[in-house]
Amino acid sequence: MISHAPKAAGYVAAALLVLFPLFYSAGNYDFVMHLWITAFYYAIFASSWALLAGYGGQFSFAHLAFMALGAYGAGILDNYVFLTSLPTGTCTEFGIPGANVVLLPPSGTGDATACLTAARATWPEGATVSRVPLLLQIAFGAGLGGGAGWLIGTLVLRLRAAYLALFTVGLSEILRAVLSAEIWLTRGQAGLPMSPLFPDGVTILGTSYGPAAKLPAYYVMLGLFLGTLALLLWVARSRIGLFLRSLREDEDAAEALGVDTVKWKRAVFVLTAAIAATAGAVQGHYVGLITPNTIVLLQMSLVIAMAVIGGLENVVAAAIGAILISFALEFLRTDFTIMGHEVDMTTWRLVFFGLLLMLTLRFLRNGVIQGALMWIERRGVGAQTVAKRRATEETK
Amino acid sequence: MITLDVKDIRKKFGSHQVLNGVSFRIEGPELVGLIGPNGAGKTTLTNVLDGAIKPDGGTIRLNGKRIDPLHPYEIARSGLGRTFQVTRAFRRMTVLENLYVPALAMEAGVNRKEMEEKAHEILAFLTIDHLRNEFGRALSGGQQKLLELGRLLMLDPDVYILDEPFAGVHPSLMATIYKWIERVNGEGKAIILISHQMESIFTLCRRLLVLNFGDLIADGPPAEVKNDPAVIDAYLGVEEDMSGSGLLRQEASHA
Repeated sequence: MISHAPKAAGYVAAALLVLFPLFYSAGNYDFVMHLWITAFYYAIFASSWALLAGYGGQFSFAHLAFMALGAYGAGILDNYVFLTSLPTGTCTEFGIPGANVVLLPPSGTGDATACLTAARATWPEGATVSRVPLLLQIAFGAGLGGGAGWLIGTLVLRLRAAYLALFTVGLSEILRAVLSAEIWLTRGQAGLPMSPLFPDGVTILGTSYGPAAKLPAYYVMLGLFLGTLALLLWVARSRIGLFLRSLREDEDAAEALGVDTVKWKRAVFVLTAAIAATAGAVQGHYVGLITPNTIVLLQMSLVIAMAVIGGLENVVAAAIGAILISFALEFLRTDFTIMGHEVDMTTWRLVFFGLLLMLTLRFLRNGVIQGALMWIERRGVGAQTVAKRRATEETK
Repeated sequence: MITLDVKDIRKKFGSHQVLNGVSFRIEGPELVGLIGPNGAGKTTLTNVLDGAIKPDGGTIRLNGKRIDPLHPYEIARSGLGRTFQVTRAFRRMTVLENLYVPALAMEAGVNRKEMEEKAHEILAFLTIDHLRNEFGRALSGGQQKLLELGRLLMLDPDVYILDEPFAGVHPSLMATIYKWIERVNGEGKAIILISHQMESIFTLCRRLLVLNFGDLIADGPPAEVKNDPAVIDAYLGVEEDMSGSGLLRQEASHA
């Protein structure tokens, strides 16, 4: 009785997203690609937050804080750690098999590379200097986020609902303040620059793309998004998803039925934090600059609104909600005039989403997308229940 | 053989001694009633047994293995399961999903097909099979009680503790619960039944434990406990206790 139509539609949608950049060719190509990349980026947050909050019941506001940890973790490696083929003799450094690792002194908005530049001038031709490989940076960021997730997961074990939310709001704000204040390391509000995803460009199917080209970044973010979604779906549908929902519903009852609630709560924090951190590191490299303001409460609220409007208890619905809303946010930017009064849409569009959020919470607790999916998937359930009851009554 | 050995359990909340050295031993497929006035410590004892509350002193051994230092989920997996006084169905999960939680928690690699068949069999037994794809919240109060009993069967512990399974349950559902208790007991499992419904307790149980202000004041066959002056004084004889005393008096006079 459970319909499989939404699943098929999902595969078709994923295929269309893969083909889209190859067939789209309008003049605003780069702009549209950028919108999609941003949409995927938000969809990663909304869907992973849906697992944490919708499945696990952990209504955390620290999701973007984990993102920032991932981004800054990668950014610090990107800016202050280099691999060279020769020792500099002047910088702080140590050798590893096959390379020399140079640790530059963080110098805030000043130039950190002074000792490296000086050493390079004396080196023979052919000596190489490279940044820490991108994948390693991203893995480091993800590890940092996951580790923080474990710590937060442990700290909030005994906190429920409102207290968990307050705790994580505080935590997120503390991190933002620290990132703003520790200018020597993070360059504060000036932001930490990051190298592009493909510093030397990349060749895909015989076509070369420069470092600033949108298409490679589109595929990187799409891959991360679809990979994340596949992982989240797998978790959600496995016994882990069942355990998470059971502890969301009633922790004591779940525990009394043999569910190790502490373990799974921690696990969902680690997993979703690592996902957020990975997305943060990748996005940092794509945008080229990371700032503390990416984790203001408004941004976190936006992620929550996306997940809630899409559907909190369904990772796919949350992702679709995020994609629709990030596009809507962009297209609602256009100002217009009503009866001689100009409406500033850059501000008013947020009012629109506030209203949409309130209406969803009031009338569609399952969210717009998830509500529709549930309607399709569970259409026959009520009738089935009644039919079965009638059948048993007749046999009596 | 199943054994539950409870020795000298003590628990204080602040200066209030809730359990004052409670000891008893259950051997084999016993069906034990745990009764006592409100505030006697019945639910606290249950919470101590299932690990939700750690006792200040004393030991609990299940089948010879000490379980009192364990987490509740470890105790559940060791073979002690319980229901709650206030029903705790997973409301936003389907009836089947409710049943799968304990099965999957017990064994990661459980055979899915066997698990599903077992769940269907249990739901049919409990007369709620037609509701299997409905959410827990769609069930009536009585049906949610049945759902809790079904979940417990999926956990399949050695010792079942039922906290007020009859509270607010219609007589027709009551028959199902009676059947359920007979089935579990017939499978060789021990049951501790907490209830204020003296009729059920006296019908079902062959042994009664009576708690009063944290003390175990009686332990024996119902006929014996019923006439124990200390028990009558503490519990059965109290006129205000509408749930039990009237019925019991009738029964006592018939006996």
